Amino acid sequence: MSKPGPKPRRDVNSRRVLDEAARRRRARRALEALEQDNFHDDPHGDLVMSKKAPKFSDKLEVRGGGRKKKQKHSAEYYKLKYRKTFNQLVEEAQLSHPDPPNYLSAQAEPSNLPERHFCAVCGFPSNYTCIQCGTRYCCVRCLGTHQDTRCLKWTA
Amino acid sequence: MIDKAYILDNGGFTAKVGMSSAKPRVIPNSVMKAKSERRRPFIADQVEECRDASGLFYILPFQKGYLVNWDIQKTIWDHIFGKDCCPVNFNETPLIVTEPYFNFPSIQEAMTEIFFEEYECQSLLRINAGDLSNYHYTSNNPGTLACMVVDVGYSFSHVTPYIKGKKRREGIKRIDVGGKALTNHLKDIISYRQLHVMDETYVINQVKEDSCFVSLDFMADMEVARKRGNDNTIVRDYVLPDFTSIRRGFLRTLEETSKSTDGEQTLRMNNERFAVPEILFQPSDLGVQQMGVAEAIVSSINSCPKETQPHLYSNIVVTGGCSLFPNFQKRLLQDVRKLAPDEFNVRVTLPENPLTYAWEGGALLSKHPEFYSFVVTKEEYEEEGLHICYERFDV
Repeated sequence: MSKPGPKPRRDVNSRRVLDEAARRRRARRALEALEQDNFHDDPHGDLVMSKKAPKFSDKLEVRGGGRKKKQKHSAEYYKLKYRKTFNQLVEEAQLSHPDPPNYLSAQAEPSNLPERHFCAVCGFPSNYTCIQCGTRYCCVRCLGTHQDTRCLKWTA
Repeated sequence: MIDKAYILDNGGFTAKVGMSSAKPRVIPNSVMKAKSERRRPFIADQVEECRDASGLFYILPFQKGYLVNWDIQKTIWDHIFGKDCCPVNFNETPLIVTEPYFNFPSIQEAMTEIFFEEYECQSLLRINAGDLSNYHYTSNNPGTLACMVVDVGYSFSHVTPYIKGKKRREGIKRIDVGGKALTNHLKDIISYRQLHVMDETYVINQVKEDSCFVSLDFMADMEVARKRGNDNTIVRDYVLPDFTSIRRGFLRTLEETSKSTDGEQTLRMNNERFAVPEILFQPSDLGVQQMGVAEAIVSSINSCPKETQPHLYSNIVVTGGCSLFPNFQKRLLQDVRKLAPDEFNVRVTLPENPLTYAWEGGALLSKHPEFYSFVVTKEEYEEEGLHICYERFDV
């Protein structure tokens, strides 16, 4: 009979290790960030119109003429009329035209080539993976930089 | 036969616009706000008047390549069609406007309504930009039976087989990587490695345009970039604009790189120069699980009928902003050649101006003797509504 070995003790000080799901979540978030138009706030966002400022109307009140009877729509009108997010559009199109070819079916399939890995710090080919978060690195120096700056620091 | 038409190739980043009788203008399709100029936003080409473009804030009408912000687009169009930009009288000039593949019905509806009812167009042709590129290519090469249009744009890249002038919808492949993802990725890595530039989309986009190139042997270039001193022939310094004496940044030559700078702020560009465009050829480098451009071309051609395949391989044409990277065409040819069957001839054409290739195709199409049978007129629209557009436009 063999004695059960000593149970691996959980070191309280050991670093948190991200599981597969969390790593995938992070990767997806990083990809979504690449779609962003801006990473900062609207520089004019804090502008407040003074109440005392005179108001000018774009429309000249011209009576008669008769030719220009039709009311032109403002940009706001089209915003309200066709207010749809990208995801709504995809969903709608999927319901009305479920058979391929359509937007979703046109997406290129996964590549047959093997994935390559690059060091997150210096960009050169990497052979190692950070134990905690799964980021790639290439040498001890880069690992140090990674742990000091990014590893589970701002994003996890 | 008409004497002229107005052509609007409405892209996600730039609109290519102008009368078919003149040269096209390339205009940013966005509204921009600057930190330095608090009083007004810059609409489309007004950004040329902006003296300090640092921290430029973009408001784009397009999202993932599709038109969703109508109020922004309307504002931009109002400016473009106005007297300060590219004036047009839609009463007497037919309009050709482009849209992406698999455009959503509600976007098409909105677009049709705006042009007929708001801008009071007399006749309208909505068409895919790729169709115009294909038309341009077949006009330049008469007798071509099939053509593979590769569009590497801002929001995404598409490969589309055209057989006898008709696109094969089943063969269209979209890669969700384009100029925008590349710029944002470059911003990411520079911000982490050197200097915080997350707010500088405008400047970093120029850095990308000025310093990036497509590698012909990726791993070999990686080894060169790793070297120190004079052996490294890839590393360059990029001088950033300060918007007082330097309006646009520039890449220093190899000899001048590493020399001391007198007050200029520089970025050290090394493997970033070719690792960024490389993503187009291998999106998995970035974690996008999709084929690269060359693989997608081969996969798309393989899905086409056997007898068309040799024609498609020998008539590949590249358009879109990302094809402006140096060596793009060479690398594409090299990669497709590797993957294609031996007996086929592979030819990749890079037009003189890949940005306006589709627009020029539109200009040629407007001279087609039966052009009027392609458009929908205002009367027809008022009579039959949107239905006639779905019937006539093959988009």
